[in-house]
Order: sequence, then structure tokens, then C-alpha cells
Amino acid sequence: MKPSKETKVFFSRQNLFQLLIAKSIIEALLVTALAVSFYLVVTNPHLRGWLDQADARTISGWVVNEKSAGTRVEVQLFIDDRFVESRVADSFRPDVQQAQRATDEWHGFVFQTPRLGAGDHEARVFAIHRGASDERRTLQIIGKPLRFHVDAALTDSRGPATSAGETQ
Amino acid sequence: MSEANLNPETIVSDRALAGWELISVVSSIVIAEWMFTTVSGLSKLIIAIPILLAFAVMIFSHRARNESLRDIGFRFDNFLQAMRLLVLPMLGSGILCLIVGWRLGGTINLFRWHPNRFILFQLMFGFGWGLVQQYALQGFLNRRATMALGAGWQSVLIIAMIFGGLHLPNPALTVITFAGGIVWAAVYQRAPNLFALAVSHSVMTWLVVSTIPPSLLHHLRVGLNYFS
Repeated sequence: MKPSKETKVFFSRQNLFQLLIAKSIIEALLVTALAVSFYLVVTNPHLRGWLDQADARTISGWVVNEKSAGTRVEVQLFIDDRFVESRVADSFRPDVQQAQRATDEWHGFVFQTPRLGAGDHEARVFAIHRGASDERRTLQIIGKPLRFHVDAALTDSRGPATSAGETQ
Repeated sequence: MSEANLNPETIVSDRALAGWELISVVSSIVIAEWMFTTVSGLSKLIIAIPILLAFAVMIFSHRARNESLRDIGFRFDNFLQAMRLLVLPMLGSGILCLIVGWRLGGTINLFRWHPNRFILFQLMFGFGWGLVQQYALQGFLNRRATMALGAGWQSVLIIAMIFGGLHLPNPALTVITFAGGIVWAAVYQRAPNLFALAVSHSVMTWLVVSTIPPSLLHHLRVGLNYFS
């Protein structure tokens, strides 16, 4: 029996219709999986900490990686959205251990406030998250930004002010 | 529901199906382009999934619609006709690139594209990459846009907008590819020859990279990669 014209068609319109539906479903799942995995790679939901205090002299707080409570977290200080300094949070903070946030007492950080112009300023401290890949690092804010005031008298006694980014 | 009601022939018109195919392939390219920088290392291979799916749809769609390689534009009989249509827009664009580059204070450097590669090899590589892009853009998307909207300015504009849009958020590249998209789509509708378009694609990329200041082109980066 001769094959009909229908059977000669390698891929029918109905197959194409089904392929388009299957492709849409696969791509929707792929995008969802990529979005979730990206979120998990670039953020660390186990970081806990707080920015306790900020004034014209020091800026301090604590931070713990609850998934690996023995390790020290690297933190970065920004004042008025300008990078100031990076350091490891390994200062003595017995209260953090007493509150059962960490297994030891060395998760605090204290930054010396750089010389700033008189007026209001805002300090933010971020924990650095390295993730599984060496290609990128992300910053996660610790606690909430703190506003503080620098008196003109204090500025005069510490010499001329520079912008926060130029203190390094 | 009866079997007849489930038949795609009865629930989706040919124009709607062509439009769906077009959107489906464009969405795959957008996913691959924008997701590429979110993954690293071997995980980048995951981006092959939408690309393979897009090629599967394109190839099977050609089969379902009985389109031959010749129909698509893999042919030589109209190569010169297509080149003749391309020469004037290419000359005009080349002169415009020189003027824009000169006005922006850039220097002309014919070896800027990939300085460590032999220029002839780079042009051949550009031809190959241009052929892939022109096949997807004209050999598939333009044909489906024509099926959905008919030949003419509407389908040409849609193809140019898609081509420009795929180069977002790079502003200079988006404008340049939009203009290129109009010319290539219009020429393809008059003389469907992908080899001529690939030659034009490669030469025009070379001219643009050689004349427009690199700071404006942002290393030809598109998608999320533009911000890195």
C-alpha cells in the first residue's frame, strides 16, 4: 500500500502545537529553578547581626553566620553611601554568646569613625557573602542604617574633615 | 469535549500559530541572554536548554510547514540580487559610522574588534555568527512575522524591534541593531538570501566596532552582562 500524504509529513502541525506547549512548560520551570538557585547563591539566609551604635567616634555591632557559627564574618562600613573600611567581625562580644546566637564570644565589630564634616551622617554595615562561586561577592546589610550627628566642635578638634571615601 | 475540538487545526489559526512560534523563539533567546550571567562555571551549560528548544521549534516548524532550505534562504541563485539591495544601505551606514565616530572624537582602528585575532579570521567568524543570527531573525522570525502580519512595513518593523530589543539594555547597540534590523528584514522579504545577509552582518559589525568609540558600544555587551 502506498503511504498517504499524511504519513509523509515528518512533523505535523499538531506535533508543533504540542512542542510549543511543552517548551513553554520546560522554560517556565527552568526560569523558576534559575531564579531560586540564584537567590540561594547570592544571599545567605543564615546571617544574623545588628548595628548597635554609631556616633562621631565609633560604629559597632555584631554579626554571626548561624550555619557556621565558629567562622568570622567579613563586614564593610559605608558612611553616606561611601565605602570606608572593611574588617573581620572578631571583636569580643560576650552578650552575643550569652544570647545563644554564637558558640563563642568573638563576633563583634568596632570601626573607628573617620573624620567627617559637621552635620548628620548615616552609617551602614554590610556582611560580605562569597557564595559557592569565586566570580561574585554580595553585600547584605546588617541591622538597620543608623543616623548620627557630628558636632562642629569635634570636627575642629580632630582636624579638617574629608569625605568618607577618602579616609583610606 | 469532542476530538475535533482538541484539534489544533480548529482551535488555533495559522496566523496565531505563526505568532506563537515567533514569541516562543524570542522568549528562549531572552531567557538565554538574560540568565547567562546569573550562572557560573559548568552551570552555564544550562543555558543550552532554551537555545536547543528554540532550534527544535524552528527546525520542526520548517518541517511542519514544508519549508525547504532554499525557501529559508540557504541558496546562491539570488545572492547577487540580495547584495545589490544591501550595498547602498551598507555604504550609507558606513559613512554614518565614520561621521558619528569622528564627531564623538573616536579614532578609527580596523583591528579593534578582536586585536589578538587575524582580521580575516575574525571576519569569517563574524560571518558564521552572523549567519546563525540572520537565520533565526530572518529565516525563521521574519517568515513567521510575514505569515502573521503579511509582508511589508509591519512585519519589517516587528523584526527590527525584536532585533533591537534583544540588544537591550545597551543603548547604542539597540539603536544600531534596530536600524540594521529594518534593512535586513526588508531586503530578506525582497530577496531571501541568508549568505548575503551574513556577509553584510559581519562587515557592518566590523565597521561599527572600528569607528564608534568602544566606551559607547560597551564592549558589545547585552542582557545582564551589560552591567558586569
